Amino acid sequence: MKTKNSDNYTKWQKSFERETKIDLNEASSETDEGIEIKPVYTKADIENLSFVDNDSLPGQLPYTRGPKASMYTNRPWTIRQYAGFSTAEESNDFYKKNLKSGQKGLSVAFDLPTHRGYDSDDDLVMGDVGKAGVAIDTVEDMKILFNDIPLDQMSVSMTMNGAVLPVLSSFIVAGEEQNVNKNLLSGTIQNDILKEFMVRNTYIYPPDPSMKIVADIIEFTSKEMPKFNSISISGYHMQEAGADNVLELAYTLADGMEYVRAALSKGLDIDDFAPRLSFFFAIGTDFFMEIAKLRAARTLWYKIMKDFGAKNEKSLILRTHCQTSGVSLTEKDPYNNIIRTSYEALSAILGGTQSLHTNSFDEAIALPTDESARIARNTQLILQNETGVTNTVDPLAGSYFIESLTDELSKKAWEIIEEIESLGGMTKAVKAGVPKLKIEESATKKQAKVDSGSRVVVGVNKFKNPKEPKVDVRVIDNNRVRDDQIKKINDIKASRDQKAVDESLAKLVTAAKEDSNLLARSIDAIKNRATVGEVSKALEQVYGRHFATSLSVSGVYGKHFEGDEDFMNVTKKVNIFEEANGRRPRVLVVKMGQDGHDRGAKIVATSFADMGFDVDMGPLFQSPKDVAKDAIENDVHAIGVSTLAAGHKTLVPELMKSLKEIDPKSKIIVFVGGVIPEQDYDFLYENNISAIFGPGSNIIESAEKVIDLISDKIHKHN
Amino acid sequence: MQLVEKIIKGERAAIAKAITLVESSRENDKKESRKLISELLNKPGKSIRVGFSGPPGVGKSTFIESFGRYLVEKNYKLGILAIDPSSQITGGSILGDKTRMIEISKNPNTFIRSTPSRGSLGGISVGTREASIILDAAGYDFIFIETVGVGQSETMATNLVDIFSLIVGPGSGDELQGIKKGITEYADIFIVNKNDGDLKSEASKTASDYKSAISYYKKSNDTADKEVLLVSAIEQTGMEKVIETIQNIVSQNKKNKNFDERRAKQFTYWIEEEVREIIQFNIQKKIKADGSISQLSQKVMDGKIQMFEAIEAITQNLQNK
Repeated sequence: MKTKNSDNYTKWQKSFERETKIDLNEASSETDEGIEIKPVYTKADIENLSFVDNDSLPGQLPYTRGPKASMYTNRPWTIRQYAGFSTAEESNDFYKKNLKSGQKGLSVAFDLPTHRGYDSDDDLVMGDVGKAGVAIDTVEDMKILFNDIPLDQMSVSMTMNGAVLPVLSSFIVAGEEQNVNKNLLSGTIQNDILKEFMVRNTYIYPPDPSMKIVADIIEFTSKEMPKFNSISISGYHMQEAGADNVLELAYTLADGMEYVRAALSKGLDIDDFAPRLSFFFAIGTDFFMEIAKLRAARTLWYKIMKDFGAKNEKSLILRTHCQTSGVSLTEKDPYNNIIRTSYEALSAILGGTQSLHTNSFDEAIALPTDESARIARNTQLILQNETGVTNTVDPLAGSYFIESLTDELSKKAWEIIEEIESLGGMTKAVKAGVPKLKIEESATKKQAKVDSGSRVVVGVNKFKNPKEPKVDVRVIDNNRVRDDQIKKINDIKASRDQKAVDESLAKLVTAAKEDSNLLARSIDAIKNRATVGEVSKALEQVYGRHFATSLSVSGVYGKHFEGDEDFMNVTKKVNIFEEANGRRPRVLVVKMGQDGHDRGAKIVATSFADMGFDVDMGPLFQSPKDVAKDAIENDVHAIGVSTLAAGHKTLVPELMKSLKEIDPKSKIIVFVGGVIPEQDYDFLYENNISAIFGPGSNIIESAEKVIDLISDKIHKHN
Repeated sequence: MQLVEKIIKGERAAIAKAITLVESSRENDKKESRKLISELLNKPGKSIRVGFSGPPGVGKSTFIESFGRYLVEKNYKLGILAIDPSSQITGGSILGDKTRMIEISKNPNTFIRSTPSRGSLGGISVGTREASIILDAAGYDFIFIETVGVGQSETMATNLVDIFSLIVGPGSGDELQGIKKGITEYADIFIVNKNDGDLKSEASKTASDYKSAISYYKKSNDTADKEVLLVSAIEQTGMEKVIETIQNIVSQNKKNKNFDERRAKQFTYWIEEEVREIIQFNIQKKIKADGSISQLSQKVMDGKIQMFEAIEAITQNLQNK
């Protein structure tokens, strides 16, 4: 029997094929997630969905359409900009300015030494103090950070995972000393350690004790801090590291399940803590996919929590913060980033986020300036006040495409969640390194698509700006920041009651050995003016420091370039080089200092190897001296330094010095890649850096340049 | 030769350059390399060479990091040659062993060199033996050679090291059935890693599987006993026993001359290998210079002569040159 619908469809198909001259079966495209996107969707696509319920309304299970019935019609999302740099004083100034201009919540970025539990005076962190966030060494810094910001009125989000105990303790004590009881503090602590082992690498302890710390915090806050979100389960950094949306969604929810189990093992009732679990997703440029992801996330979390036996409605609802994608920003033609961020922000809103950070356009190069931060904030103010997006809840509901995509994403993510569960949960999967490798594989594929031009990035691999604009960036003098911090630490150490500090740290160690709650004990230590580093080191005595083992993908990049002329050209050069020199060009790819963002380093390593280079990978968190030893022992031709946290101005010259110290005649060339403001180029060249590759550099072109530089160097000396 | 002096003085850059030289595929370098090695052989050090092999994922590098840390704390000088597989397709490689050797790679008493296997048989790369001679002359007490995979055990054990140890993970005892004979023959020490946490009981069980497996091995009086050891690389337990066992085996083998005999055999093998390589190289050169292969194979294809006649003719031709 023919229906009117199918008649219409046949007619449409004919017209489509006539217009495009393409068979409809061939006209679909495939996303990074492996989802087929069809040219048209119909009612048939939303019949018999597996996860989505077409009759559900906002605020109703399975909460696909939003956690609340009224959503933005009642109150718009919270504009919550993530910021922090240099000293607490300077960050505090910046926060206060932003709050005056319409920002509603605070979100604190800490510097890398704080993340990794080192005080600013530690030799290991020379290049990193105050660089990618604010340096916090003691509770005094935390008090300065919130000076004139009443903590009973301001919701504060803190991105902290590794050194979560001393930092949350400092926040609690800072509140207390502002006369705000901890039960009035509102906000969120990220406290999501599992994804650190996958992508961001700012862990301190091994996975098992780290999970205990997470559970301790959930336990403590569920009893003592009813307005505080004990965790922000984050997929953001996974997408930043190159995960596609299915991986981001699945791993984030699987992380969530693991945290629920950790809290349950403390004997807590699920409804006592589940309402305070929050989420954090990245919003990239795939417009509809990102909308579907947020809808799918709520749908799946409802199912997961129901299966855990949650009764309280608030336990069943996924609430999330979102941030526009940092990795989608380009160094080239940077004003394009304002436009990218705007679309990403709209995706997040149409997906129903509870709060949002919009990136500044200059963040591919440096930390935002006051001016770029204003534009970023205004992106949201314009959406809220001018576009009408707040007038209707979940306006895309019922769209054949969106509903079908939501269901498709849910199905794919569920398969991966089941896979992780079958490995025994995320802690075990993380120890085996499975998710990290999958994300790196996905990242390498994405990079290959851009380098081969099969994915267009405007201003980078197509429609290039013939006249690149000059952009002023924020400059941090990290030596000055470090000196300031060291002075403050010394003052505090001189004036505190050392006996009280020692005793409270000893009690913390005992608590770790006896497996009792560590947050309560670290609050005592912090109150006595123990430093962030001292608290972290005390626990290190019991747990040790974790060093990640690192696996690498291979062949993923090269596969995209079968028969590609530029690619073959480089492999040919490599072969010629080998003939002439008796070995392949050999490159050591490293990160230095406390910067654990290793996506770039990993992609460079695997793609160079695919082009025939021998690539040495150094461990994370190396000092320039370690790198020099490694490079010389392996007699590499070149060192590639990947830097994303602005430490290069200190660490790179240090590396050059160390190389000459071990081998005064060293011919090793050094090139640098990552986030480097153009203002620093001259400085680096003066320090004998051979090449600089900014974000968005084509890897094949970079590889060719490196091999040419190596050959030149060899010829000059022969 | 200046390089020799620098190596003996232990200069890091000189050692590194020398290893590059012995690994080089360039003809000139090979000649230089032979000269260098013969000089260094006149100035032998006192190193013990220990091989570590085992399937991927058992924590070889992590074990070496852990055991190495134990040794450098006791002021031993430690040279490590880690061999990573090269890609069969691109020829390139990712040398990632050092990401797991974090502490020892910083230590001034270590020298850690990764080498791509370059598809050479057995996973032992060209130049590994020579590299160990360089490190020996440079005064390293121990030289560890690490390779992936078990298939190469024989090559490594018989040709390169004084002691060969196999690192295995908990649960691997089940696989023993099939490979029992080879393993029991070549390995001197079996190290069962990951004797920690949830895996402890499984690790003990695996150790007893190996113990019973080596009991099948017919023990001769003049060799040291094979040992099965339980360690945890992460928790750094069992390391004392490993060094003790290595030292015991060495002293026992030295007493009964086994140690020297093994090294003598390795020399014989090495000479044979070098001779084979030189002959092969010469033949290759002749084949290149001689056009008869392509001419004659064309004749075979055209049906003018039989294939075996062609082969006969080519061989004759090359031998007479």
